Amino acid sequence: MAVLVKKVELNWLDRTYVWPVLMGMVITMRHFIRQITTRSSRRFTIPYPDRKRATAPGYRGLHELKRFQDGSIKCVACFMCAEACPARCITIEAEEYGDINKTQGFEEKRPSVFKIDMLRCIYCAMCEEACPKDAIWLRTDYEQASYDRLAMKFGKWDLMNTYADQDGKPRITVDPTPAVPRPPVEG
Amino acid sequence: MESLSSLLHLTPEPFWMIVKVCIVFLGPLTLAALLTWAERRGSAMIQDRIGPNRALLFGRWRLLGLPQLAADGIKFFLKEDLVPADASRALFWLAPVMAFVPAVMGFAVIPFGRSFAQGGHLYHLSLLDPGNGMGMLYPMAIGAVAVYGILTASWSSNNKWAILGGMRSASQMVSYEIAMGLAVAAIFMRTGGYDPQQIIAAQGVWNVLPQFPGFLVFSTCMFAETNRLPFDFAEGESEIVAGFHTEYGSMKFALLQLSEYLHLVTAAALIVTLYFGGWRIPGLAEPPVLLSVAAFAVKLVFFCWVFIWVRWTIPRFRFDQLMFLGWKVMLPLGLANLLLQAGLMHGGA
Repeated sequence: MAVLVKKVELNWLDRTYVWPVLMGMVITMRHFIRQITTRSSRRFTIPYPDRKRATAPGYRGLHELKRFQDGSIKCVACFMCAEACPARCITIEAEEYGDINKTQGFEEKRPSVFKIDMLRCIYCAMCEEACPKDAIWLRTDYEQASYDRLAMKFGKWDLMNTYADQDGKPRITVDPTPAVPRPPVEG
Repeated sequence: MESLSSLLHLTPEPFWMIVKVCIVFLGPLTLAALLTWAERRGSAMIQDRIGPNRALLFGRWRLLGLPQLAADGIKFFLKEDLVPADASRALFWLAPVMAFVPAVMGFAVIPFGRSFAQGGHLYHLSLLDPGNGMGMLYPMAIGAVAVYGILTASWSSNNKWAILGGMRSASQMVSYEIAMGLAVAAIFMRTGGYDPQQIIAAQGVWNVLPQFPGFLVFSTCMFAETNRLPFDFAEGESEIVAGFHTEYGSMKFALLQLSEYLHLVTAAALIVTLYFGGWRIPGLAEPPVLLSVAAFAVKLVFFCWVFIWVRWTIPRFRFDQLMFLGWKVMLPLGLANLLLQAGLMHGGA
């Protein structure tokens, strides 16, 4: 299909070229004055490392494995997230554990290993959708970088502490209950 | 003045000469360096950006991005000095100097303030005293020499983009010099002389009013002569990489760049001298010396800013459009202006 090019008839003022140039200069000067009188915090450009943009609600950033108040992990190692993950970046190994604690009630399973390969993750939040326990959240952090590939493999304790400082929670590195198989019920 | 010069065991004349050399050499050089900053920050503001502001002085002070100048300078000095294998070595080294020297020479004749008498001496605020016989022909001639720096740079690089840029620059300068000469000739005619002091003295009404077509022609030609946008064909980035300084790096590139900004300063000074009354202040017949210098500086900086302002407003021409404008618009307009002024003079106006 031929595109019809509309010929613009310029009037004599425009054909002098001087007048349109002056009009253009007025426009650029208007931009100049507006930009130079705008405070840095209100300009379009966010000077990134100095000031960070607040992420929108529903932003899918770095994951967090949620925990109960006593520090036990919410995850029950059901593998739903690992199944849902289109990038196949979640590795889970489940374990049984000993005492029945007050927050988790009768749950008997939890992950002993919960790894996410952040280099493979595509931040689609399918894991978050799939999780029946609401144990994995994708939150606001978007600055993941490291000097080697191994550091981008986040383990269970990395994932549980990703937002600890931000939320004012203590950083934890052990489960509150030991991983001892329950003794078989006698008689 | 005399006590100062006697302190240095000099008679006032050489002392004053040394002072003037310092002012005329370092003043435009400093202004040119600041213009690179103004260009980058100003263009950023025009385009709703922020511009360079990452360089910090002693790691602390941002100073609106001014430390970027020092950072660039240091970087240019420390970079590897590369000469392409097929380049003509001697000319390649000579070209930045050939571009730089005329650029700093151009300012010599321009009066940057009112002449004043003190202790029986008459002090002129221009490097070359009035009555030197060259007058305004001198900056025109020097400006014409500037093209050799660009041509040498492009030819010695042995690079097709550079050659194209140099050729464009040469043809552009040649064709716009004619119209520029016509515009200036009209001023010489009205003034009855070509000495800048005379021209300024004759501007009871700034020349821009009675000679507006001439001003249009002259300022347009100045854009072409200084290779500034909308006429920066010598280095059209989108077409011929970087034109004549494609192969240049490190301090040689910096010299080429600096000489371009020096040309810009000289061009602004010429516009101020020829059309905006030099150091004159409207309504003040004999302004105090310092005030006259300040007036000249304000006008100069304003026109330097206009060069930057226009650059970030208008896109580049096509080369045939440039030639069309030069030969079919600027030349007839310059001629018409000349005839108009001649007719006015004949009519006794």
